[in-house]
Amino acid sequence: MEYLTLNHYLLTGAILFALGVIGFATRRNLIVMFLCTEMMFQGVAVTLVAFSKYHGNLDGQSFVIFVLTIAAAEAALALGLVVYLFRRKQTLDAEAWSAMKG
Amino acid sequence: MAYGFYIASVCGALAVWLVLPSDRRKPIMLGVIAGAATLGGLLLHTASLAYDAEQGTPSLYYYIFTVLAVLSAVRVISHPRPVYSALYFVMVVLSVAGMFLTLEAEFMAFAMIIIYAGAILVTYLFVIMLASLPPSAYESHEAPAYDRVAREPFLACFVGFALLAVLSSIIFSSVDPITPRPERDAVTVAIEQMPDRITPVLLAQNAINIDTNHPDLTYRMEEGALIASIGIGADERIELTSDLREAIANSIGNIDRVGLNLFESHTLGIELAGVILLVSMVGAIVIAKRKVTGGNEASRHEGTEAEVI
Repeated sequence: MEYLTLNHYLLTGAILFALGVIGFATRRNLIVMFLCTEMMFQGVAVTLVAFSKYHGNLDGQSFVIFVLTIAAAEAALALGLVVYLFRRKQTLDAEAWSAMKG
Repeated sequence: MAYGFYIASVCGALAVWLVLPSDRRKPIMLGVIAGAATLGGLLLHTASLAYDAEQGTPSLYYYIFTVLAVLSAVRVISHPRPVYSALYFVMVVLSVAGMFLTLEAEFMAFAMIIIYAGAILVTYLFVIMLASLPPSAYESHEAPAYDRVAREPFLACFVGFALLAVLSSIIFSSVDPITPRPERDAVTVAIEQMPDRITPVLLAQNAINIDTNHPDLTYRMEEGALIASIGIGADERIELTSDLREAIANSIGNIDRVGLNLFESHTLGIELAGVILLVSMVGAIVIAKRKVTGGNEASRHEGTEAEVI
């Protein structure tokens, strides 16, 4: 017999989140770094929906909608900044901006 | 019991470290094998834990979507070309949407595909194409240095998989089934929010005998039975069999429930989300309108050469 168990979905969410953290730390391309934050959002979304199903409570799914909203807003702003920075220095390297302090 | 997760985390860290882009030659095949063994071993281990706890094993679709999601996620962080990273991220989104379908969250699954894969990822692809180096940089079939070499891969893998080891061993300290236990009974929700959905179900099941076209028709719950009322003394008691309950519950879909929850419990949140979207739109326009100053110290071509050195 096949059942759904909460733990398996939480594990998938944790793996996606951890891979997103690793990608954010290791990649130097600004665009890929933001992609990795989106991947962390995916892990959180899996966790939220799994808990929503587990508790029979739809608040989790409502929160995923808010996560989507924030992700969209973040993508619009961050990518606008990335294009601006690229036009300034012709590079997407995050370390090219390490001198930007304060 | 937790040792399985620690071992898997060490193997996974090794695998990801090996496949991350680097200038030195690393045995990538070894990484692929270690990664496949880790993922397979982890899934088998968790399945056996669930089986020992007499909760059965998750459905086959869960395994398909998890394997797809994790493999694509590894490719997102390990592919040297950003365009391919973005395309693999679409695979991650699609697998997560499939996983939502197994959790009966249909609306979220399609919202995920439409908003993430449809809108956000297209924005990413646009930016990748706008902000990519001229074709001459790719003539040697080599990505720029910041795409070819990962920063602190060993440390990042250690931290990431230490986090994963702790999380997974805590997650599996006990195995819980996902049981269908709605917080509010579907019939109660239907009576309170959408009484017009009940009548067609009752008619379809031949469970109601009074005039359903009566303008004063109301429903209420009494002692576990559904009471249809069209005025004083004209009540009909309808026994809620499990078939009837299920039919009423099925008449309210996932979208109805999410919509009700959103506008009942998170009204302020929706307003704030709208304001945030508006503010970010204004911000994006301001950023895009700004003139580039102080840039262009180097032309594009020189910039890429300086990067490679």
